[in-house]
Amino acid sequence: MGAAFHDASLLQQMLIGALLGLSVYLPLSCGQLSLATPGFYAIGGTTAALLSTRVPALGGGDPTYPLSSVMLEMAVAALVSGLLALGIGKLVLRLRGIYLAIATIALVEILRVTTLNQEALGGAVGIFGIPQPFNNPGGYAAFTLVVLALICWLFARLEDNRTGRAMAAIRDDELAAACQGIDTAQTKLLAFVFSALVAAITGVISAHFFNSWNARLGNFDASITTRAFVVFGGSRTWLGPVVGGLLLTALPELLRPVGDLRLIVFGLVILVGPLLAPQGLVTPERLQGLGRSLQGLRRAPGGGEPTEALDPGPR
Amino acid sequence: MGSDFIQLLLNGLSLGAVYALFALGYTLVFSVLGVINFAHGAVFTLGAYFTYLLIGGAVGANGLLAGFQLPIALPFWLALPLAGLGAATVALLIERLAFRPLRERNADPLLALITSLGAGVVLVNLIQLLVGAESYAIPSGSLGGLPVAIQLFGAQVRTVQLLLLLVATVLLAALSLWIDGTRSGKALRAVSEDPTTAQLLGINSHRMVQIAFGLSGFLAGLAGGLVGLSVSLAGPYFGIGYGLKGLGVLVLGGLGSVPGAVLGGLLIGLAEACVPAAWSGYREVVAYGVLFVVLLVRPQGLLGKPLATKV
Repeated sequence: MGAAFHDASLLQQMLIGALLGLSVYLPLSCGQLSLATPGFYAIGGTTAALLSTRVPALGGGDPTYPLSSVMLEMAVAALVSGLLALGIGKLVLRLRGIYLAIATIALVEILRVTTLNQEALGGAVGIFGIPQPFNNPGGYAAFTLVVLALICWLFARLEDNRTGRAMAAIRDDELAAACQGIDTAQTKLLAFVFSALVAAITGVISAHFFNSWNARLGNFDASITTRAFVVFGGSRTWLGPVVGGLLLTALPELLRPVGDLRLIVFGLVILVGPLLAPQGLVTPERLQGLGRSLQGLRRAPGGGEPTEALDPGPR
Repeated sequence: MGSDFIQLLLNGLSLGAVYALFALGYTLVFSVLGVINFAHGAVFTLGAYFTYLLIGGAVGANGLLAGFQLPIALPFWLALPLAGLGAATVALLIERLAFRPLRERNADPLLALITSLGAGVVLVNLIQLLVGAESYAIPSGSLGGLPVAIQLFGAQVRTVQLLLLLVATVLLAALSLWIDGTRSGKALRAVSEDPTTAQLLGINSHRMVQIAFGLSGFLAGLAGGLVGLSVSLAGPYFGIGYGLKGLGVLVLGGLGSVPGAVLGGLLIGLAEACVPAAWSGYREVVAYGVLFVVLLVRPQGLLGKPLATKV
């Protein structure tokens, strides 16, 4: 039981990493270097923690917390962070590059310090005893997998339709995109708000899974770690941040045997990763290459050219 | 008014001086490379630990170096610049490992945000592994014959704060003189305008980048040692908070502007010192709140050049 328990718990953390990676990826996929994800993640977590422990009508006293209440928390968290993202986004998305990054770091820090100082929001201690909708990590992992699959499906749809193409056009050249009649402000705002929704929903799941919530879970470190998910996995297709989030969340856990050295190794991986694969692990070219060689394998079993999948593709 | 006001002013100014030193380190690197060095906070932390070791401080019971003590105990005024040189060496190493490979590969410069963060994570955890996570204090008697506090206009002023202000002022003046008045300072400005053109004009861009990193590490190391003396070394992570604040100062003053970094540092230091004790929990918000508003109203910062837009 011990090992299985641990594995499911690790899987759950990896899935949360993948969701956060997707949240960071979205603004980035239209060229916006936003680091606001942990702020909205914290809003989701705090909302879930407050509602489930302070509102008895949601069923916090029941042996298993109803899943419908979790859904309700998600809706409230999405509404709160969506509205905030709408307001903040209108202001900050006029900024570019490193300026936008720093403005969003400031936003995350303001949210964190405010939560830390408001007893009603958990204060410095945090909120404990968040009720459990599942009695084992496996249940959480299954639920989160469904959420992740749903969001991945939405992202895949997005990449193929007009809005997704508009985002890619803005990333490549914002001015040219505007000249083509794309409403750049509207598209960037849409990406920012949707990113906030994904982060808030992830926060709700995390709060229940962790059983407690405090302000430190949404801080500057998280801003950069989640950004690393995307850089590491690749920022040009939605699969990149998913892979990056899964791998980089698992890494410190898998490195547990090296003990005290594990964070040093983790740091080295973040340091060396972008040098070896500047585009990230998953790029559209590599996916195409993989698809081609899979087709080749299907036509001539055993006679395909698997090396093609490893081709780094054009830089 | 009177002594309370002077106390407040000095608290704010000495805090602001630290922020300014920090922001200047960012500015130097930003002006030549256009990116933020996220390992800068770790270099600051290292400077504090180097100073502690050089004055003969002993490592605590945790960590691989438990009980370690240098055979020499230098006076503070000698330990501090040496610690600065140590920090500069580490900054050069960071440039070599986290920045130069990206330039050599012509990769997206923003990747340096991640690689430098990786370098920072390695450094901070290396400190923790070697000397443990406990906090250390540089004894206030390290200043030799100087008194711990002196009377100034009727206010009780800690000598450390005056020293901090003095060192920061001297460094800032020297840096401005170097950038504005010397040949190599001019070369640095040329590289920050356009590295390729500078290279064509016979300026060794790589060398200027190294100088910028070395100087920024030196400044951070000194700031770390001084803060270690004035407050304490609150564990391997204590530079990160200052690092974030320095980032805010940097944007407030204007990215790449030296006087801007100084003005921003002093403004935020003073603003934080003016937060009443009852609201001290919100002190951190002041810096970020100011930063947020300035970004929206005047994105180039107080003294920065207007942002160029492509047409």
